[in-house]
Amino acid sequence: MVQFTLPAHSRIAKGRDWPAPAGAKRPKTFSIYRFDPDSGDNPRMDRFTLDLDDCGPMVLDALIKIKNEIDPTLTFRRSCREGICGSCSMNIDGLNTLACLKPIEEVKGEVKIHPLPHLPVVKDLVPDLTHLYAQYQSVEPWMKTDTPAPPGKERPQSPEERERLDGLWECVLCFSCSASCPSYWWSGSRYLGPAILLQAARWVFDSRDEAKPERLDALDDPFKLFRCHTIFNCTNTCPKGLDPAKAIADLKREVFKRAE
Amino acid sequence: MSEPRFSPHLAPYDNQLRRGRPLSPHLQVYRFALTMFLSITHRVTGVGVVLGTVMVMVWLGTAAAGPETYAAAQGFFGSWVGVFLILAWSAATLYHLASGIRFLMWDIGKGFGVEGARRSGIVLAVVWAVLTAVVWAIGFAAW
Repeated sequence: MVQFTLPAHSRIAKGRDWPAPAGAKRPKTFSIYRFDPDSGDNPRMDRFTLDLDDCGPMVLDALIKIKNEIDPTLTFRRSCREGICGSCSMNIDGLNTLACLKPIEEVKGEVKIHPLPHLPVVKDLVPDLTHLYAQYQSVEPWMKTDTPAPPGKERPQSPEERERLDGLWECVLCFSCSASCPSYWWSGSRYLGPAILLQAARWVFDSRDEAKPERLDALDDPFKLFRCHTIFNCTNTCPKGLDPAKAIADLKREVFKRAE
Repeated sequence: MSEPRFSPHLAPYDNQLRRGRPLSPHLQVYRFALTMFLSITHRVTGVGVVLGTVMVMVWLGTAAAGPETYAAAQGFFGSWVGVFLILAWSAATLYHLASGIRFLMWDIGKGFGVEGARRSGIVLAVVWAVLTAVVWAIGFAAW
Protein backbone atom coordinates (compact mmCIF):
# COMPACT_ATOMS: atom_id res chain seq x y z
CA MET A 1 0.00 0.00 0.00
CA VAL A 2 1.15 3.49 -0.77
CA GLN A 3 1.69 5.29 2.49
CA PHE A 4 3.67 8.48 2.16
CA THR A 5 4.15 9.20 5.86
CA LEU A 6 5.80 7.09 8.51
CA PRO A 7 3.69 5.18 11.06
CA ALA A 8 3.54 6.92 14.46
CA HIS A 9 6.07 4.65 16.16
CA SER A 10 8.51 5.12 13.26
CA ARG A 11 8.72 8.92 13.42
CA ILE A 12 12.16 10.17 14.19
CA ALA A 13 12.88 12.17 17.32
CA LYS A 14 15.84 14.39 18.11
CA GLY A 15 18.66 12.45 19.73
CA ARG A 16 21.88 13.02 21.55
CA ASP A 17 24.66 15.39 20.58
CA TRP A 18 28.28 14.25 20.88
CA PRO A 19 30.49 17.32 20.50
CA ALA A 20 33.72 17.51 18.53
CA PRO A 21 36.86 16.32 20.31
CA ALA A 22 38.94 19.12 21.80
CA GLY A 23 41.27 20.71 19.26
CA ALA A 24 39.58 19.16 16.21
CA LYS A 25 41.01 20.76 13.05
CA ARG A 26 38.54 19.35 10.51
CA PRO A 27 35.32 18.65 12.41
CA LYS A 28 32.62 16.75 10.52
CA THR A 29 29.23 15.90 11.93
CA PHE A 30 27.54 12.56 11.32
CA SER A 31 23.83 12.49 11.99
CA ILE A 32 22.93 8.84 12.49
CA TYR A 33 19.58 7.06 12.78
CA ARG A 34 19.29 5.19 16.06
CA PHE A 35 16.66 2.74 17.16
CA ASP A 36 16.92 0.70 20.33
CA PRO A 37 14.41 -2.18 20.31
CA ASP A 38 14.76 -2.66 24.07
CA SER A 39 13.80 0.88 25.07
CA GLY A 40 10.41 1.08 23.38
CA ASP A 41 11.25 4.64 22.31
CA ASN A 42 10.84 6.02 18.81
CA PRO A 43 13.89 6.16 16.55
CA ARG A 44 16.09 9.23 16.97
CA MET A 45 18.93 11.00 15.20
CA ASP A 46 22.19 11.13 17.19
CA ARG A 47 24.85 13.60 16.08
CA PHE A 48 28.52 12.68 16.38
CA THR A 49 31.25 15.15 15.49
CA LEU A 50 34.62 13.66 14.51
CA ASP A 51 37.93 15.15 13.50
CA LEU A 52 38.56 14.06 9.90
CA ASP A 53 42.31 14.39 10.49
CA ASP A 54 41.94 11.48 12.89
CA CYS A 55 39.62 9.28 10.81
CA GLY A 56 39.77 7.05 7.72
CA PRO A 57 38.43 8.35 4.40
CA MET A 58 35.22 6.35 4.07
CA VAL A 59 31.88 6.65 5.86
CA LEU A 60 32.42 3.12 7.21
CA ASP A 61 35.68 4.27 8.81
CA ALA A 62 33.72 6.97 10.63
CA LEU A 63 31.06 4.50 11.80
CA ILE A 64 33.71 2.12 13.11
CA LYS A 65 35.49 4.98 14.85
CA ILE A 66 32.26 6.09 16.52
CA LYS A 67 31.52 2.54 17.64
CA ASN A 68 35.07 2.01 18.96
CA GLU A 69 35.62 5.35 20.63
CA ILE A 70 32.34 7.13 21.33
CA ASP A 71 29.28 4.90 21.51
CA PRO A 72 29.78 1.13 21.46
CA THR A 73 26.02 0.55 21.19
CA LEU A 74 25.96 1.90 17.61
CA THR A 75 24.88 -1.06 15.49
CA PHE A 76 25.51 -1.65 11.79
CA ARG A 77 26.49 -4.48 9.46
CA ARG A 78 29.94 -4.55 7.95
CA SER A 79 32.51 -7.08 6.95
CA CYS A 80 34.93 -6.77 4.04
CA ARG A 81 35.31 -2.94 3.95
CA GLU A 82 36.01 -3.09 0.19
CA GLY A 83 32.64 -3.32 -1.56
CA ILE A 84 32.57 -7.08 -2.05
CA CYS A 85 30.45 -8.43 0.79
CA GLY A 86 27.52 -6.02 0.42
CA SER A 87 26.90 -5.83 4.17
CA CYS A 88 27.22 -2.13 4.90
CA SER A 89 24.50 -0.87 2.56
CA MET A 90 22.65 2.11 4.00
CA ASN A 91 21.21 5.47 3.03
CA ILE A 92 23.97 8.07 3.13
CA ASP A 93 23.25 11.67 2.18
CA GLY A 94 19.93 10.61 0.63
CA LEU A 95 21.26 7.83 -1.60
CA ASN A 96 21.62 4.12 -0.88
CA THR A 97 25.19 2.92 -1.13
CA LEU A 98 27.88 0.91 0.61
CA ALA A 99 29.39 2.84 3.52
CA CYS A 100 32.80 1.33 2.73
CA LEU A 101 32.79 2.75 -0.82
CA LYS A 102 31.41 6.19 0.07
CA PRO A 103 34.13 8.80 0.68
CA ILE A 104 33.22 11.20 3.49
CA GLU A 105 34.61 14.04 1.36
CA GLU A 106 31.81 13.54 -1.19
CA VAL A 107 29.20 14.68 1.31
CA LYS A 108 28.82 18.40 1.80
CA GLY A 109 27.91 19.50 5.30
CA GLU A 110 26.47 17.08 7.82
CA VAL A 111 26.60 13.40 6.83
CA LYS A 112 23.10 12.03 7.31
CA ILE A 113 22.96 8.25 7.66
CA HIS A 114 19.75 6.21 7.70
CA PRO A 115 19.11 2.49 7.32
CA LEU A 116 18.02 1.25 3.88
CA PRO A 117 14.65 2.93 3.21
CA HIS A 118 11.21 1.44 3.78
CA LEU A 119 12.29 -1.66 5.65
CA PRO A 120 11.58 -2.79 9.21
CA VAL A 121 14.47 -1.78 11.45
CA VAL A 122 15.96 -4.37 13.80
CA LYS A 123 18.35 -1.92 15.44
CA ASP A 124 20.02 1.36 14.38
CA LEU A 125 21.29 0.85 10.82
CA VAL A 126 20.34 -2.82 10.60
CA PRO A 127 17.16 -3.44 8.57
CA ASP A 128 15.38 -6.77 8.47
CA LEU A 129 16.10 -8.37 5.08
CA THR A 130 14.09 -11.57 5.63
CA HIS A 131 11.55 -10.76 2.93
CA LEU A 132 14.25 -9.87 0.40
CA TYR A 133 16.05 -13.16 1.03
CA ALA A 134 12.76 -15.04 0.70
CA GLN A 135 12.13 -13.32 -2.62
CA TYR A 136 15.67 -14.16 -3.70
CA GLN A 137 15.02 -17.79 -2.88
CA SER A 138 11.79 -17.66 -4.90
CA VAL A 139 13.68 -17.08 -8.18
CA GLU A 140 15.71 -20.26 -7.56
CA PRO A 141 19.11 -18.66 -8.02
CA TRP A 142 21.09 -21.70 -9.05
CA MET A 143 21.76 -23.45 -12.35
CA LYS A 144 19.07 -25.88 -13.34
CA THR A 145 19.75 -28.54 -15.97
CA ASP A 146 18.18 -31.68 -17.35
CA THR A 147 21.05 -32.88 -19.50
CA PRO A 148 24.12 -34.32 -17.82
CA ALA A 149 27.33 -32.31 -17.85
CA PRO A 150 30.10 -33.59 -20.16
CA PRO A 151 31.88 -36.38 -18.26
CA GLY A 152 34.74 -35.11 -16.13
CA LYS A 153 34.29 -31.52 -17.31
CA GLU A 154 32.42 -28.33 -16.61
CA ARG A 155 29.59 -27.21 -18.88
CA PRO A 156 31.22 -25.33 -21.76
CA GLN A 157 30.39 -21.69 -22.40
CA SER A 158 31.73 -19.53 -25.23
CA PRO A 159 33.39 -16.20 -24.38
CA GLU A 160 30.37 -14.42 -25.93
CA GLU A 161 27.92 -16.42 -23.83
CA ARG A 162 29.97 -15.64 -20.76
CA GLU A 163 30.03 -11.95 -21.66
CA ARG A 164 26.23 -11.86 -21.55
CA LEU A 165 26.52 -12.25 -17.78
CA ASP A 166 28.75 -9.20 -17.34
CA GLY A 167 26.90 -6.53 -15.39
CA LEU A 168 24.83 -9.26 -13.70
CA TRP A 169 27.29 -11.50 -11.86
CA GLU A 170 28.96 -8.57 -10.07
CA CYS A 171 25.90 -7.92 -7.88
CA VAL A 172 26.74 -8.37 -4.19
CA LEU A 173 23.11 -8.41 -3.02
CA CYS A 174 23.42 -5.33 -0.84
CA PHE A 175 19.80 -4.40 -1.76
CA SER A 176 20.64 -0.71 -2.18
CA CYS A 177 18.61 -0.79 -5.42
CA SER A 178 15.52 -2.55 -4.07
CA ALA A 179 15.41 -0.18 -1.10
CA SER A 180 15.68 2.82 -3.46
CA CYS A 181 12.75 1.81 -5.64
CA PRO A 182 9.42 3.59 -4.97
CA SER A 183 7.64 0.73 -6.70
CA TYR A 184 9.26 -1.67 -4.26
CA TRP A 185 8.36 0.64 -1.37
CA TRP A 186 4.67 0.55 -2.30
CA SER A 187 4.39 -3.02 -3.63
CA GLY A 188 7.29 -4.85 -2.02
CA SER A 189 5.13 -7.70 -0.83
CA ARG A 190 4.52 -8.87 -4.39
CA TYR A 191 6.94 -6.98 -6.65
CA LEU A 192 10.33 -8.69 -6.64
CA GLY A 193 12.30 -5.46 -6.90
CA PRO A 194 15.47 -4.64 -8.86
CA ALA A 195 18.00 -6.71 -6.90
CA ILE A 196 16.05 -9.94 -7.20
CA LEU A 197 15.13 -9.31 -10.84
CA LEU A 198 18.75 -8.66 -11.73
CA GLN A 199 19.56 -11.99 -10.13
CA ALA A 200 16.72 -13.62 -12.05
CA ALA A 201 18.22 -12.18 -15.25
CA ARG A 202 21.59 -13.59 -14.27
CA TRP A 203 20.09 -17.11 -14.61
CA VAL A 204 17.67 -16.44 -17.47
CA PHE A 205 20.54 -15.24 -19.65
CA ASP A 206 23.00 -17.95 -18.61
CA SER A 207 23.59 -20.12 -21.69
CA ARG A 208 24.14 -23.19 -19.51
CA ASP A 209 20.83 -22.96 -17.68
CA GLU A 210 18.05 -25.17 -19.07
CA ALA A 211 15.09 -23.83 -17.09
CA LYS A 212 14.58 -20.58 -18.98
CA PRO A 213 10.93 -21.27 -19.98
CA GLU A 214 9.92 -22.07 -16.39
CA ARG A 215 11.85 -19.05 -15.11
CA LEU A 216 10.03 -16.76 -17.56
CA ASP A 217 6.70 -18.39 -16.69
CA ALA A 218 7.26 -17.56 -13.06
CA LEU A 219 8.22 -13.95 -13.83
CA ASP A 220 5.34 -13.28 -16.24
CA ASP A 221 3.18 -11.66 -13.61
CA PRO A 222 1.71 -8.16 -13.26
CA PHE A 223 3.45 -7.73 -9.92
CA LYS A 224 6.63 -9.81 -9.74
CA LEU A 225 8.20 -8.29 -12.86
CA PHE A 226 5.86 -5.72 -14.33
CA ARG A 227 5.65 -3.40 -11.33
CA CYS A 228 8.88 -1.95 -12.65
CA HIS A 229 8.00 1.48 -14.05
CA THR A 230 11.54 2.35 -15.10
CA ILE A 231 11.91 5.02 -12.42
CA PHE A 232 15.69 4.45 -12.56
CA ASN A 233 16.44 4.89 -8.86
CA CYS A 234 18.02 1.41 -8.89
CA THR A 235 20.57 2.22 -11.59
CA ASN A 236 21.24 5.65 -10.12
CA THR A 237 22.03 4.23 -6.70
CA CYS A 238 23.89 0.94 -7.40
CA PRO A 239 27.24 1.16 -5.57
CA LYS A 240 28.71 -1.39 -7.98
CA GLY A 241 27.72 0.65 -11.06
CA LEU A 242 25.36 -2.02 -12.38
CA ASP A 243 22.17 -1.35 -14.33
CA PRO A 244 19.22 -3.22 -12.79
CA ALA A 245 16.79 -1.12 -14.85
CA LYS A 246 18.31 -2.60 -18.01
CA ALA A 247 18.32 -6.13 -16.63
CA ILE A 248 14.60 -5.79 -15.87
CA ALA A 249 13.86 -4.34 -19.33
CA ASP A 250 15.73 -7.29 -20.87
CA LEU A 251 13.57 -9.69 -18.85
CA LYS A 252 10.39 -7.91 -19.95
CA ARG A 253 11.45 -8.19 -23.59
CA GLU A 254 12.30 -11.86 -23.12
CA VAL A 255 8.78 -12.44 -21.81
CA PHE A 256 7.29 -10.56 -24.79
CA LYS A 257 9.46 -12.43 -27.30
CA ARG A 258 8.08 -15.70 -26.04
CA ALA A 259 4.51 -14.48 -26.47
CA GLU A 260 5.02 -13.63 -30.16
CA MET B 1 9.08 -21.75 -8.50
CA SER B 2 8.40 -21.73 -4.80
CA GLU B 3 6.69 -18.80 -3.12
CA PRO B 4 8.56 -16.86 -0.45
CA ARG B 5 8.13 -18.75 2.80
CA PHE B 6 7.66 -15.62 4.80
CA SER B 7 4.01 -14.49 4.61
CA PRO B 8 3.89 -13.69 0.90
CA HIS B 9 0.60 -11.85 1.27
CA LEU B 10 1.91 -9.22 3.61
CA ALA B 11 4.28 -6.39 2.91
CA PRO B 12 7.61 -7.13 4.61
CA TYR B 13 7.11 -4.33 7.08
CA ASP B 14 3.57 -5.45 7.96
CA ASN B 15 5.01 -8.63 9.43
CA GLN B 16 7.71 -6.76 11.22
CA LEU B 17 5.80 -3.71 12.37
CA ARG B 18 3.70 -6.04 14.47
CA ARG B 19 6.83 -6.84 16.43
CA GLY B 20 7.18 -3.16 17.19
CA ARG B 21 9.87 -2.54 14.64
CA PRO B 22 9.83 0.89 13.05
CA LEU B 23 9.70 1.44 9.30
CA SER B 24 12.86 3.14 8.06
CA PRO B 25 12.30 6.56 6.47
CA HIS B 26 11.91 6.58 2.67
CA LEU B 27 10.41 9.61 0.87
CA GLN B 28 11.38 11.63 3.95
CA VAL B 29 15.11 11.12 3.35
CA TYR B 30 15.58 9.96 -0.25
CA ARG B 31 17.29 12.47 -2.48
CA PHE B 32 15.11 13.50 -5.40
CA ALA B 33 16.70 13.00 -8.82
CA LEU B 34 15.59 14.33 -12.21
CA THR B 35 14.64 10.80 -13.34
CA MET B 36 12.46 10.31 -10.26
CA PHE B 37 10.74 13.66 -10.80
CA LEU B 38 10.04 12.97 -14.49
CA SER B 39 8.66 9.55 -13.61
CA ILE B 40 6.16 10.75 -11.03
CA THR B 41 5.23 13.63 -13.36
CA HIS B 42 4.34 11.05 -16.02
CA ARG B 43 1.87 9.49 -13.63
CA VAL B 44 0.39 12.78 -12.42
CA THR B 45 -0.04 14.09 -15.97
CA GLY B 46 -1.64 10.74 -16.90
CA VAL B 47 -4.39 11.42 -14.39
CA GLY B 48 -4.63 15.01 -15.64
CA VAL B 49 -4.99 13.85 -19.24
CA VAL B 50 -7.96 11.63 -18.37
CA LEU B 51 -9.73 14.31 -16.31
CA GLY B 52 -9.02 16.94 -18.97
CA THR B 53 -10.34 14.70 -21.73
CA VAL B 54 -13.61 14.31 -19.81
CA MET B 55 -13.70 18.10 -19.54
CA VAL B 56 -13.27 18.53 -23.30
CA MET B 57 -15.89 15.85 -24.01
CA VAL B 58 -18.37 17.71 -21.83
CA TRP B 59 -17.54 20.90 -23.72
CA LEU B 60 -18.22 19.15 -27.03
CA GLY B 61 -21.39 17.67 -25.57
CA THR B 62 -22.77 21.13 -24.81
CA ALA B 63 -22.78 21.83 -28.54
CA ALA B 64 -25.37 19.05 -28.92
CA ALA B 65 -27.39 20.30 -25.95
CA GLY B 66 -28.52 23.53 -27.64
CA PRO B 67 -27.23 27.02 -28.34
CA GLU B 68 -27.79 28.39 -24.81
CA THR B 69 -25.85 25.58 -23.13
CA TYR B 70 -23.08 25.89 -25.70
CA ALA B 71 -22.88 29.65 -25.20
CA ALA B 72 -22.58 29.11 -21.45
CA ALA B 73 -19.77 26.60 -22.00
CA GLN B 74 -18.03 28.96 -24.41
CA GLY B 75 -18.29 31.67 -21.77
CA PHE B 76 -16.69 29.41 -19.18
CA PHE B 77 -13.86 28.22 -21.40
CA GLY B 78 -13.23 31.83 -22.44
CA SER B 79 -12.83 32.88 -18.82
CA TRP B 80 -9.41 32.80 -17.19
CA VAL B 81 -10.33 29.66 -15.26
CA GLY B 82 -11.33 27.90 -18.47
CA VAL B 83 -8.23 29.05 -20.33
CA PHE B 84 -6.07 27.86 -17.44
CA LEU B 85 -7.73 24.43 -17.49
CA ILE B 86 -7.15 24.07 -21.23
CA LEU B 87 -3.54 25.18 -20.93
CA ALA B 88 -2.95 22.71 -18.10
CA TRP B 89 -4.65 19.90 -19.97
CA SER B 90 -2.70 20.51 -23.17
CA ALA B 91 0.59 20.79 -21.29
CA ALA B 92 -0.16 17.54 -19.42
CA THR B 93 -1.14 15.73 -22.62
CA LEU B 94 2.03 16.80 -24.41
CA TYR B 95 4.18 15.80 -21.45
CA HIS B 96 2.51 12.41 -21.18
CA LEU B 97 2.95 11.89 -24.94
CA ALA B 98 6.64 12.78 -24.98
CA SER B 99 7.33 10.89 -21.77
CA GLY B 100 5.43 7.86 -23.09
CA ILE B 101 7.74 7.75 -26.11
CA ARG B 102 10.69 7.79 -23.72
CA PHE B 103 9.25 4.74 -21.98
CA LEU B 104 8.84 3.01 -25.36
CA MET B 105 12.52 3.71 -26.02
CA TRP B 106 13.39 1.83 -22.83
CA ASP B 107 10.99 -0.96 -23.77
CA ILE B 108 13.00 -1.60 -26.93
CA GLY B 109 16.17 -1.64 -24.84
CA LYS B 110 17.71 1.77 -25.63
CA GLY B 111 18.91 4.60 -23.42
CA PHE B 112 19.98 2.78 -20.27
CA GLY B 113 22.71 3.61 -17.79
CA VAL B 114 22.82 6.57 -15.43
CA GLU B 115 23.92 8.85 -18.26
CA GLY B 116 21.38 7.51 -20.76
CA ALA B 117 18.48 8.13 -18.42
CA ARG B 118 19.71 11.59 -17.48
CA ARG B 119 20.27 12.61 -21.09
CA SER B 120 16.86 11.41 -22.30
CA GLY B 121 15.33 13.19 -19.32
CA ILE B 122 16.81 16.49 -20.41
CA VAL B 123 15.69 15.85 -24.01
CA LEU B 124 12.21 15.13 -22.70
CA ALA B 125 12.06 18.39 -20.73
CA VAL B 126 13.19 20.41 -23.77
CA VAL B 127 10.89 18.62 -26.24
CA TRP B 128 7.95 19.09 -23.89
CA ALA B 129 8.64 22.81 -23.43
CA VAL B 130 8.96 23.39 -27.18
CA LEU B 131 5.87 21.34 -28.08
CA THR B 132 3.81 23.11 -25.45
CA ALA B 133 4.97 26.54 -26.58
CA VAL B 134 4.12 25.73 -30.21
CA VAL B 135 0.68 24.31 -29.40
CA TRP B 136 -0.17 27.24 -27.14
CA ALA B 137 1.04 29.73 -29.78
CA ILE B 138 -1.15 28.08 -32.44
CA GLY B 139 -4.06 27.98 -30.00
CA PHE B 140 -3.85 31.64 -29.06
CA ALA B 141 -3.30 32.66 -32.70
CA ALA B 142 -6.46 30.82 -33.73
CA TRP B 143 -8.51 32.11 -30.79
